[in-house]
This record gives sequence, C-alpha cells and structure tokens, in this order.
Amino acid sequence: MAAITQQRRHRDPESHPRAALDAEAVRGAYRRWAAIYDSVFGGVSAAGRRRAVAAVNQLAAAAAPGRPLRVLEVGVGTGLALPHYRRDIEVIGIDLSRDMLERARARIAAQRLANVRALLEMDAERMAFRDGVFDVAAAMFTASVVPDAKRLFAEMSRVVRPGGTLLFVNHFAVESGLRWWMERSMAPLARVLGWHPDFRLTDLLDPARVAVEAIEPCPPAGLFSLVRVRNAGAPAVAAAA
Amino acid sequence: MSDEARKPKDAPQGGAVDPRLLEILVCPVTKGPLRYDRERGELISERAGLAYPIRDGIPIMLPEEARKLD
Repeated sequence: MAAITQQRRHRDPESHPRAALDAEAVRGAYRRWAAIYDSVFGGVSAAGRRRAVAAVNQLAAAAAPGRPLRVLEVGVGTGLALPHYRRDIEVIGIDLSRDMLERARARIAAQRLANVRALLEMDAERMAFRDGVFDVAAAMFTASVVPDAKRLFAEMSRVVRPGGTLLFVNHFAVESGLRWWMERSMAPLARVLGWHPDFRLTDLLDPARVAVEAIEPCPPAGLFSLVRVRNAGAPAVAAAA
Repeated sequence: MSDEARKPKDAPQGGAVDPRLLEILVCPVTKGPLRYDRERGELISERAGLAYPIRDGIPIMLPEEARKLD
C-alpha cells in the first residue's frame, strides 16, 4: 500500500496534498482499463461527452462558412466522443495511452469517421503542435488524470488560437458536505482509478485570471460539469517553460 | 483486418502521414520544425537530435520513445 499513501504537495499553497499520479501510473492504469473502459465508464460519462460535443457542434454552426472548425480532443481515449462531432468538423485526437488509441482507431475505421484527421500519442502537458492551430480544444475526463492540470491548461491555451474555446468535462470536487467527505475518503484510490476524486476547478485554472464563460452541470446528478473557457492565448513565458 | 495485405509495396514505413498534419506538428521538446522521413517512418527533430517513430499511422510524439540521432 506504499504507492497509494505516497503524497505530493503542490506549489499552490491553497492546494491540498494529493496522491501522486505520474505519467507512467496513468499509462499503466489505462493499459489495464482499455479493454473494459467503455463498458465501465462509457455509460456514466456519456452525457458529459455529448454535452461537450454539442458545444463544439454549436461553435461549428456559428463559425464562418468555408473553413472547417479545427478541434483537438485531448485524452481522446477509445474515441467515445468521436462519432458525435458534425462531419464538417476536423478532429485530431491525442492520448498518452497506446492501447486506448488503438481502440479509437478501430472505431474510426468501423464508423468511417473521415473527419477525424489524425490520432497521435502525445503528452498533454508537452504537446507537439504549433501555437494557435486549433479553434477548439476539448478535454473530457482528462484534466484530473494528468499529473499537472495547470500545465495541461497552459498547453491547451497555447495550441488554440486567441479567442478560441477551451472545453473541459470533469468531475470537480465540491468544497464541503457529505459528497466532499466521500470524495476525500476516495482520494487515496487515485492511483488505482487513474483519476482524482478530489480534483477541484482551481487545480485546473485560476478563476481570477481566466475567462470562464460557463460551468454547466451534466447528468447523472451533476456529478460532472462542462466548463467553457474563452481562450486568451498563451502567455509568452509558458512556451519557454 | 486486411490493412496489411492491401498495403502497396512502396507504402511509407509506419503508415502515411497527412501533409496537413505535418504543417501543424513541431518537436515537443524544442517546439522547432520536424522533417518527415518517409523511408524510415519517422519525424526528425534535428535540433533535439530525436527521431519520433510512426507506428501504424500513429505518430509517437514522446521524447522517451524517440530514437536518438547520432
């Protein structure tokens, strides 16, 4: 049990210590999960995924005609969301887990999703895209599984053009009450589950500095939220970090 | 699947890479340009001295999985 009691303290003084989740732990978790992910997690997460893709589709509908909306799905996983995008949207998916990407690729082939332009194995905290090449970046159930969500946020801000949109669907821990207590007591299981039950919005972004356009609770029971952010563009220093 | 059987003999190693994808890709370490080596199926970052492999059409943009250039 040493692994799950190992804690690390964040730089953010307001942040509480969380169970360490490094990239290898995430990959390991998803290697084990790949085969059963859809049946175990697909159902409970479906509404959140649909809500995020609906938001992307709305952006495509509102965009000027002539150029397709370019969307990056960060943590595309087995590609559960991919069939729901409008076919005039160009989607690129990245994930750290090879096993999950193989399943996404099979789904793309089976459903002939020609608008999914590429899948890449990539670290969401250190992406291999030029600045500002996407109109939208969406991270569904991803922000709480990366080792450093603030770096994920910075990278998504960098690769999306200023004025573009960042979308996050995640479980965000509430700050008090019975659910808070339950989630806190589940926190040491993070390494096993591959995600943080005690993940908070402030672990991802600083609400005082980021233009959060909307936070919408999603079914079931508002367990997950869709967070929509208008992209301010990356600060010049972030690219050098 | 029959992908392997249908692949022509001169098909690029690791699977084809969309030229428009290449336009937006950079080295994750240096954020500098990449050169596509079709023969070897690799994306070369001269500045980082790394060759990122492409396996079954999926580029692996991870420095720890890349081949070090001599």
